[in-house]
Amino acid sequence: MTDGPGAASFALTEAQEGLWYFQALDVENPILNTGQYLELSGRPDLSALREAMARMIAETEALRLRFRRGPRGPEQWLSDNAPVLAEADLTQSADPAAEAMALMQADTARALDLRRDQIAAFTLYRLSAERFFLYQRIHHLGIDGYGFVLLTNRIAEHYNHLTAGGPAPLPFRPIETASAEDQAYRNGPKRSEDAAWWKAAMAGLPEVQGPTPGRAVSGSGFLRHSVWMPQDLRAALAAFSEHHDLNWTDVLTGLTGAYLARWTGGEVVAGLPFMARMGRKVARLPCMVMNVLPQRIRPDEEAPLPDWLRGFTVEMREARKHGLYRSEQLRRDLGLVGGARRLYGPLINIQPFDRPPVFAGIDVKLHILGAGAVDDLTLTFRGDPDSGMLFEVDANPALYDEKAIAGHSARLIAFLRAALAAENLARVPTASPEEVAQIDARNAATAHEIPGTTLIALIEAQMKASPGAPALSFRGEVLTYAEVDRRSAALALQLQAMGAGPGQIIAVALERSFELSIALLAIQRAGAAYLPLDPDHPADRIATILRLATPLRVITSPDLTGLFAPDAPLLLSPDFATSGQPAPSGAGPEDMAYIIFTSGSTGEPKGVVIEHRAIVNRLLWMREFYGFHAGDRILQKTPATFDVSVWELFLPYLTGATLIMAEPGVHRDPVALARVIRQERVSTLHFVPSMLSAFLAAPASQGLEIARTFCSGEELTADHRDRFHARIRGELHNLYGPTEAAVDVSYWPATPEDRSNPLPIGFAVWNTRLEVLDERMRPLPPGLPGHLYLGGVQLARGYLGRPDLTAERFIPDPRQPGARLYQAGDLARLREDGAVVYLGRSDHQVKIRGLRIELGEIEAAIMATGLAREAVVIAREDRAGEKRIVSYVVPLGAHQPGAIAAAISRSLPAYMLPSAEVPMSALPVTSNGKLDRKALPAPEFSATGRPASTPAEVMLAGLYAEILHLPSPPPAEADFFALGGDSLSAVTLALRIEQSTGRDPGIGAIFEQPVLAGLARIIGGEETSENGLGTLLLLAEGDAAEVPLILLHPAGGLGWGYRTLARALAPQRRVWALQHPCLDPAEALPRSLSDLAARYLQVLEAAGITGRVHLAGWSVGGLIAQEMAVQAGARAGMVALLDSYPADVWREEPDPDPVAALRALLAIAGHDPEGHQDLDTRAKVVAFLREGDSALGALPEEVLDAVVRLVTDTNRLVRSQYHRAMAGDLLHIRAGRDHAGRGLTADLWQPWAARVRTAEVPFLHAQMISPEAVTEIAPILNAAMRGTGG
Amino acid sequence: MALTLEQMRADIARMIHLDADEIGDDDSLPDLGLDSLRLMRLAVIWEEAGLRADFSMFAESTTLGEWWAEIEERGLVN
Repeated sequence: MTDGPGAASFALTEAQEGLWYFQALDVENPILNTGQYLELSGRPDLSALREAMARMIAETEALRLRFRRGPRGPEQWLSDNAPVLAEADLTQSADPAAEAMALMQADTARALDLRRDQIAAFTLYRLSAERFFLYQRIHHLGIDGYGFVLLTNRIAEHYNHLTAGGPAPLPFRPIETASAEDQAYRNGPKRSEDAAWWKAAMAGLPEVQGPTPGRAVSGSGFLRHSVWMPQDLRAALAAFSEHHDLNWTDVLTGLTGAYLARWTGGEVVAGLPFMARMGRKVARLPCMVMNVLPQRIRPDEEAPLPDWLRGFTVEMREARKHGLYRSEQLRRDLGLVGGARRLYGPLINIQPFDRPPVFAGIDVKLHILGAGAVDDLTLTFRGDPDSGMLFEVDANPALYDEKAIAGHSARLIAFLRAALAAENLARVPTASPEEVAQIDARNAATAHEIPGTTLIALIEAQMKASPGAPALSFRGEVLTYAEVDRRSAALALQLQAMGAGPGQIIAVALERSFELSIALLAIQRAGAAYLPLDPDHPADRIATILRLATPLRVITSPDLTGLFAPDAPLLLSPDFATSGQPAPSGAGPEDMAYIIFTSGSTGEPKGVVIEHRAIVNRLLWMREFYGFHAGDRILQKTPATFDVSVWELFLPYLTGATLIMAEPGVHRDPVALARVIRQERVSTLHFVPSMLSAFLAAPASQGLEIARTFCSGEELTADHRDRFHARIRGELHNLYGPTEAAVDVSYWPATPEDRSNPLPIGFAVWNTRLEVLDERMRPLPPGLPGHLYLGGVQLARGYLGRPDLTAERFIPDPRQPGARLYQAGDLARLREDGAVVYLGRSDHQVKIRGLRIELGEIEAAIMATGLAREAVVIAREDRAGEKRIVSYVVPLGAHQPGAIAAAISRSLPAYMLPSAEVPMSALPVTSNGKLDRKALPAPEFSATGRPASTPAEVMLAGLYAEILHLPSPPPAEADFFALGGDSLSAVTLALRIEQSTGRDPGIGAIFEQPVLAGLARIIGGEETSENGLGTLLLLAEGDAAEVPLILLHPAGGLGWGYRTLARALAPQRRVWALQHPCLDPAEALPRSLSDLAARYLQVLEAAGITGRVHLAGWSVGGLIAQEMAVQAGARAGMVALLDSYPADVWREEPDPDPVAALRALLAIAGHDPEGHQDLDTRAKVVAFLREGDSALGALPEEVLDAVVRLVTDTNRLVRSQYHRAMAGDLLHIRAGRDHAGRGLTADLWQPWAARVRTAEVPFLHAQMISPEAVTEIAPILNAAMRGTGG
Repeated sequence: MALTLEQMRADIARMIHLDADEIGDDDSLPDLGLDSLRLMRLAVIWEEAGLRADFSMFAESTTLGEWWAEIEERGLVN
C-alpha cells in the first residue's frame, strides 16, 4: 500500500494552490466538500449501476488524490485506495428522504484530513424499491463543477452501455494531463502576456465590494435561496437575445451585473467562473482547473440596452482569451491580499450544461448540495431558457440573512423582467414593483384629516377655553391663559395699526422672556408671519437677514438695539400696548406662519417660508400622537431661530398646557437645566443629541423623571438611548426633519427595549412621504443607501425671494404628478420594516478603503469604554485622497493616550479604528448648540530628535513620512506607532520595505522595533532579526547602567504583549522579554519549567546580562519568573507576578479543555476571549487571527502552529512543576476584578518566598497587560524596582 | 437528417456571425470568437440533430477538422 507520503508526489497545479491555501488556513472548514445527488426514480439495474460506478471510479484518478505540505510547498500523490460505493437501505425509515438528506448533509459537513482521508465518497441510498439517491461528494481540490458533470455523465454512459448496449466510453485521461498542461502554461510565454493584459484591464480598479459591506471571507457554510426562473422571464430572455443577436448567457450575465452594480456604486467587479477547458487536453478530464475571472461591469445606463450589452460581450470574450491566468495570482499582483481587499465581489455563475444525466429507463433529477466557498453572494443559473432554469442565491451568512437573500432573489428577477422590456437601464428601478407598492402604501397610510385653519386660530380657541389655567411661566412668575390672551391681543392691535397683516413679516429679536412669547402670538394674531433673530448672532448677519426679508417691524428690547442700524423700524418691548382687541387676523392655512433663516451653502442665509397648514399638521400630529394634555409642562429652551423652538413655543398653547420658559443661557448648563426640570416639574423637553450626551454625563441628570424627551437636530445614537434609559425615567423619542419641512417629518420611539443600532429616524408623520431614491430619482429597496426625499403637507413654500434655490431643492415628484419633493441632502436607507435610517449628509459620506463606515458606531464604541465623556469621530481629508478617521474626545478623568484605542480595538475591526485621537476639554458647538465640525482641529503627529543619517534610516524616514503622511521625514528616534501607525499601516510599511530593499522584514520586526533607528539596524543587516521571534527581545531601550527588567512570556510563548508595559517603564532601564525557544518548531519542547528557567538564565548570560535582573511575568510568566528567581539566587532583584498562582492550584483542577487553551491565544493577540465565544475550535481561532490584522495573525503558519502547541504544552509544564522557595521577596499583583469565589490570592505564594508583598488592580486576569492596566501596574513595578535598590 | 460537416460549419458560422466559407477545417475556433457557452449551445443543437457526443469532446480540440475526424472515427452520427 502506498497510502502514505512514500508514493511519488507531484506539485499542485496553480488552480489547486489557491484552494489549498484557503483550506490550510482553516483545516476544519468543510466548505470545499462539493457534493450533489442524483434522484433516481424507477427500477434501476442495481448490479449495472454498481458496475458503472466501479468503472467510473477506476478511471477517475482524481478521486484517489491525497495532499500534504511538502518541503517545497503543497504536493499531492495518488493513493492506491480508491473510494468504493457505499449502500444504505433506508426503506424502513419513517421518512427515508429526510433521513438520506440528513446523512448526506452530515457527510458534506465533515472536514477532511487531506493527507489521510479519501477525498471522495459515493453512497447509494435506497429509499424504496423505486426511489434511490446516488450521493457524490468530492473535495474541490480534486474536482470542479464541470469535472463533476463529466464523471456523473460517465456513470450514465457506463450504465447505458451495460444495460442498453450504448457505446462504451473512452477512458478519461490520466491526472498528469492536468499537471502537464499546468506546467506548460506556467513556463510558457502566454502566462506573462496574460499577466500584463490583466494588469492593464484592472487599472484604476475601485475598492471591490459586494451589496453588503463587511469582510467577505467564506465561513463553513452558506445560505441558499432557490427558485425556478418564471417561464415568462425565460421566454423574454430568449426572445431578447434572439432579437438582438446576443448570447443569452451574456445578456443574463450583463443584466445580473447591472443589478449588482446598483449596490456597489455603479461599478461591480463580478467573479465569473471560467471552465478553462476549452481547447485543452483537460477538457474531458475530471479534475480541478476552473478559474474565476474578475469582470468589471459598469453599465452605461443611458445607452440603448442592446448596445451596451454588445460591448460588454466583447469585453468578456477578450477576458476569456486570458482566462488561464489564475485570479489568485492576479490578486497578489494587484496587492489585494489581506484585510478587506479583494479582487471580485459576488459571483455570477451560469451553468447551461448543468442538466441531469440520462440513464436508460430511469427518471433522473440532479440536486446540487454545495459547490465550494461562498465569500459573498453566488448567483447561479442552472439550465437554459428553453428547458428551464434553476436560480440559486448562495450567500455568506456572515453578511446576509435569509430575508436579505430572498429579497435579492425576488428583486433580481423583477429587475431582469423590467430590463428586458426597457429601452435602457436608466428606466429600471432597483426596487421591485412589490417593494415600490409597499413604500407607496406606507406613505399613503400617513393620510390624516386636519382642519383647514391656522396655528393662531387653534390657540385663540384654547385661550378662550381655559382662561384661568397657567399658560406661561418664567422666573417663577406665571401668566394665565387670560393674561396671555389680553397681552397678545393688545400687541396684535398695535401691530395691525402699523400695517401688519397676512403676507407681512415682523422680525423678533428677544431673549427668552414673557415678551418673546407674547410677541410671537401677537404677530400671528395680527395675521403676519414672524421672523426670529438670534440676539447672539453678529450684527452683520442680522443685517443681511433684515435686508433679505424686509420686515415691517423688528421687535426687540432696549438692551439689544445696538444690533440694528439706526434706521431699523424697531418696536421695543417696553412700548408694547397693554389693552385692545385686534381685528380678525384674516390669515388662512396657506398664509405664511413663520420664516426661519438657515445657513446656505453659498454663504448667504436663506429664509424658509412655512405656511400655517404645514405647522398645524406638525403640531396637531405631535399633540395627538404623544397624548399631550393640559397637565403637561413643556420646557422652552431652544433659541427661536432654531425651528425646534416652534413646537416648544406653541404646542403648550394648543393643549392648554404650561409653557416653562427657561432663563437665557440655561440650555448650555446641565446643572441649571436639571434644577429647572426638578423645580418646574417639566414633563417634556427637547435636546440636541450632543447636548443630551453632555447632560447625561453630568451628575445632576441622575434619577430625573421626565415624561417625554425629544431629540432632533443631529443623529441620536443607540448609545445615547441606552445611556438615557440608564439615568432618566421617561420616554425618549427621536425626531427628524429639516426646517424646510416644518420641524419634523419622522419619528422613532427610542424605548428601553429598542435594540436598533443605528437608531432609525423612523416613520413618517401625518400626511407625509419619505422616499429613498437613487441618483436618477428611482425608488430604492430596503438596505440600499440613497438620497432622502420628503413630500407632503409639511413642505415649506420655499426660500424667501429665492425662486432659483426653491426650484433646485423643491422638485416635481417623478411618481406623483403635481406633487413636490424636497431633497433633504441626507443619505438614508430603508429598513425592512419601513423605518428610515439616517446615514449622514450626502456630502459627507464616509468611505475609507472602500468600506462604508458608520462613524456613529465608532463613537458609540468610544463612549462604551467609559473613558470619554463625549466623543465625535470624523473622517478628515487633510491630505487630498487620504481620508483618515480622527476621534475627538472629552476624556473622563485624566487622558491616557492610547487607552481608548486599545479598548475599542476589541470591538471594532481594524479599518474602523481612528488613526488619531485628539483630547479636548469640550467639543466646539455652534450657537444652535450643534457640534461645530469645522472647528475641530487637525490632529498633529510629531517627534523630535536627531535626523536620520544612515542610508537605511534615511530610506525608512522617507517611508514613515509617506505612510504616516508626515509633513517631513521623522528623526531617528521616531516611533512608528507613536506617530499614528497602526497594525494596518505596519503591514504597508513591511511591504514598502520589501519593495525598497528586496527583503521582507516581517511585520513582527516592526512590532519588535518600531523606533526608526532600531528598525534601520535590523533591515540594514547590522542586527539580525528573527522577525520578533527570538528568545530574547529588547522591548524598550533605556539606561543600560540600570538593572534591566526581564519580562517572562505567558502561555503562548510570545513576549510582544508586554510592549506597552515596557514602554511605560522605559527609559529608566532596558526592558527585555524572554520568549519561548519552541516558537521555532524545530526546537524540542522543554522537559520541565525548571529546565526552561535554567535555559533562560543561560540566554541572558549569552547576551551579556550577567548582573542583577528584575523579573516579572504575567500568568504562567510569573511561575517562570519565580523559578528563575530560585535559580538566580541573589542576582534576582524585584520578582513580580502579575496575577499568577502556584502550580498546586492548577494540579487540583480538571484538565482544561483544549478550547480554553486556544482561547488564551485570543487574549495574547489582544482580543477579549469573552467577546468571541463563537471561536470554539482551533481552526476558527487560527482563521480569526489570520483574517485579522493582528501581528499574531501575520505570523508564519508554522509559528502560529507553534504558539498553539505552546499554549497547550505550557499547561503540562505548570502541572508538573513543584515550586521551591526563593530567597527574596515576591511581589504579587492581583487582578481584583477576577477570580470571584475561587480563593485565588497572593497568600498561596507564602510557602515559596521569603516574604510576599501584595498589590491589587481593578482589572480582569486577561486585561493585566492591557494599556489601561499598565497605567496602574507600571508605577507599582517602578516603585518596587527602586525599592530593591535597582 | 444526419448531421454533416457542412451543417456543423454553417451552425458555427451563424453562432459567431461569420460566413461559412470563412471557417476553415484547421482554424482555431476560439480565436474566431467561439466561446464555451456558445459551443454549448451548438452541442445541444447537434445533439438534437442526432450526434451522440458530449460537449467536452468539442472542447478538447479547437478545430472543426479535428471534431469531424473524431465523429467519423467513433461513428457518433446516427
